[in-house]
Amino acid sequence: MVAVLQTMHADARSAGTVSTDLVEIDHVSIAFPGSRGRGTVVAVEDVSVSIRRGEKFVILGPSGCGKSTLLTAIGGFIPVSGGEIRVDGAAVRSPSMNRVLVFQDFGQLLPWRTVVSNVEWAVGKRWPKMPAPERRARALHYVELVGLGPQADQYPNTLSGGQKQRCAIARAFAVQPEMLLMDEPFGALDAINRERMQFELNRVWAAESERVTIAFVTHDVNEAVHLGHRVMVMSRGPGRLRALVENPSVGSPPHDGAALKLVEELRELLKDK
Amino acid sequence: MASIDIPDAASRRNKLVALLLNAGAVKKVVVLALVCIAWEATVRLLEVNRLLFPPISEIAVKLAHGLGLGGTGELWSYVWQTLSVILQSFAISIVIAVVVTGLAVSNNWAREFLSVMTGMFQPLPSIALLPMAILWFGFSRESLVFVVVMAMIWPIASSLTVGFATISPTLMRLGQNYELGRFAMMTEILLPAALPMMISGLRVGWGFGWRTVVAAELVFGATGTGGGIGWYINNSRLFMNIADGFAGILLVIIVGLFTESLFRMVQYFTTHKWGTENF
Ligand SMILES: Nc1ncnc2c1ncn2[C@@H]1O[C@H](COP(=O)(O)OP(=O)(O)O)[C@@H](O)[C@H]1O
Ligand SMILES: [Mg+2]
Repeated sequence: MVAVLQTMHADARSAGTVSTDLVEIDHVSIAFPGSRGRGTVVAVEDVSVSIRRGEKFVILGPSGCGKSTLLTAIGGFIPVSGGEIRVDGAAVRSPSMNRVLVFQDFGQLLPWRTVVSNVEWAVGKRWPKMPAPERRARALHYVELVGLGPQADQYPNTLSGGQKQRCAIARAFAVQPEMLLMDEPFGALDAINRERMQFELNRVWAAESERVTIAFVTHDVNEAVHLGHRVMVMSRGPGRLRALVENPSVGSPPHDGAALKLVEELRELLKDK
Repeated sequence: MASIDIPDAASRRNKLVALLLNAGAVKKVVVLALVCIAWEATVRLLEVNRLLFPPISEIAVKLAHGLGLGGTGELWSYVWQTLSVILQSFAISIVIAVVVTGLAVSNNWAREFLSVMTGMFQPLPSIALLPMAILWFGFSRESLVFVVVMAMIWPIASSLTVGFATISPTLMRLGQNYELGRFAMMTEILLPAALPMMISGLRVGWGFGWRTVVAAELVFGATGTGGGIGWYINNSRLFMNIADGFAGILLVIIVGLFTESLFRMVQYFTTHKWGTENF
């Protein structure tokens, strides 16, 4: 089943008439003002890479190597200090509902709205003219898609960490963005939940016709191999592109031979400094 | 990922009742009853001058009459006078505080202005402004509203400032991500997120305002152009109806307690339910 989906996906990509690259990261550097106003801290330095339309693209690297910085810059939340990030050929200037960010922070849900109402809120922002019943139906569909049907009317403070992230994912998919930017969304979950959520993310992405492009940040090698069609490895101090690895065994079970081999390879890439 | 069971309606109601009665309700009632008995007994046994210090039973009867139980119900109109002043001031204070604090979120000058003003006026008992207010607005409702607003606005504004400052960057980013304008950001993210702090600010603000308005009415009462509960208390002294005065004081206490429980109720149905309560 996984293999079939994969070939379909590959076909869709090669048969496309539009450019296969959705995001072009073109010699991008990002610097922050240094502490006490002196000098700058370079978080990302001269990174060039493209993210293909409809792929799951993983940004892998040790903590502090500038993964979040790069991701939020793709989102348009922070400016680049050198180079350019283009989405659909246009330079990114500000955040957009077309690129929805999913955070590691459980606090990304609106605490004063129930699960379904959080999703409804986002849908309402995306399509302000949509009639309320349709909005609700749409929200419920996505809430059920991530398996939160029974919790639909609960407030976020009554949910577990995993359930909160499911809700955030439902909300992100419900607005049908061109792109999802996920910053270690499962980073704060326990190992069992994390693996389950990786599986679920693959499932929801497939259920949405593999249409959404996902940029996924992680420092977990297994997660990278489980999720990413391609894995971009970053090195620290300052954040640079170290390697770009194709992952033919994306979505396969963790004990799959090829996957294990890639895990080892990536681990070496991360270690070596 | 076991589902967490939600308290059903009945247990919610019970919780609410418990909340209103404030848990140790029984002990409180006993203490209150003992105080009343001691009062009554002291006045009767020591034969205190009733004109100066009436027994509690007499006051209770006055209060009941004043509230319309076998009497004229005149107290309602006095209380309403006072309440209408404070409600109007409350609304004005909230609007100004929200606008100014909202501006201060994005503008450094507005932030400095607010912090200087709050720092200056927070320690000032606003009743001290009453003479100036009388000079400017005369013995009018406007004077009262002015001093009450000056009492309420600073605690509300400073709690809102803290509330806005402690909003998680994640929620702000969420708002940016969904392309909220300034106004939507305010109403859909900032205000609800700051509500826990806001409620405590409103509570403090209301408390300040309530003290101030009663005090201001006492001053007005001396000139005979008032009409609120403070004026009523002062008038009772003028005409030596001390029991009436005490009834007025009791009423001030009761209204204070009542509004306090209203605030607790609002809290229960909002921040408590959302799990964002901060105290
Ligand atoms: N707002 C900021 N101001 C100053 N420095 C920052 C800021 N955000 C991140 N940095 C710095 O940039 C570097 C990369 O951070 P980040 O992108 O969060 O790393 P990662 O997500 O890979 O763990 C770190 O050295 C961090 O201290
Ligand atoms: Mg990070």
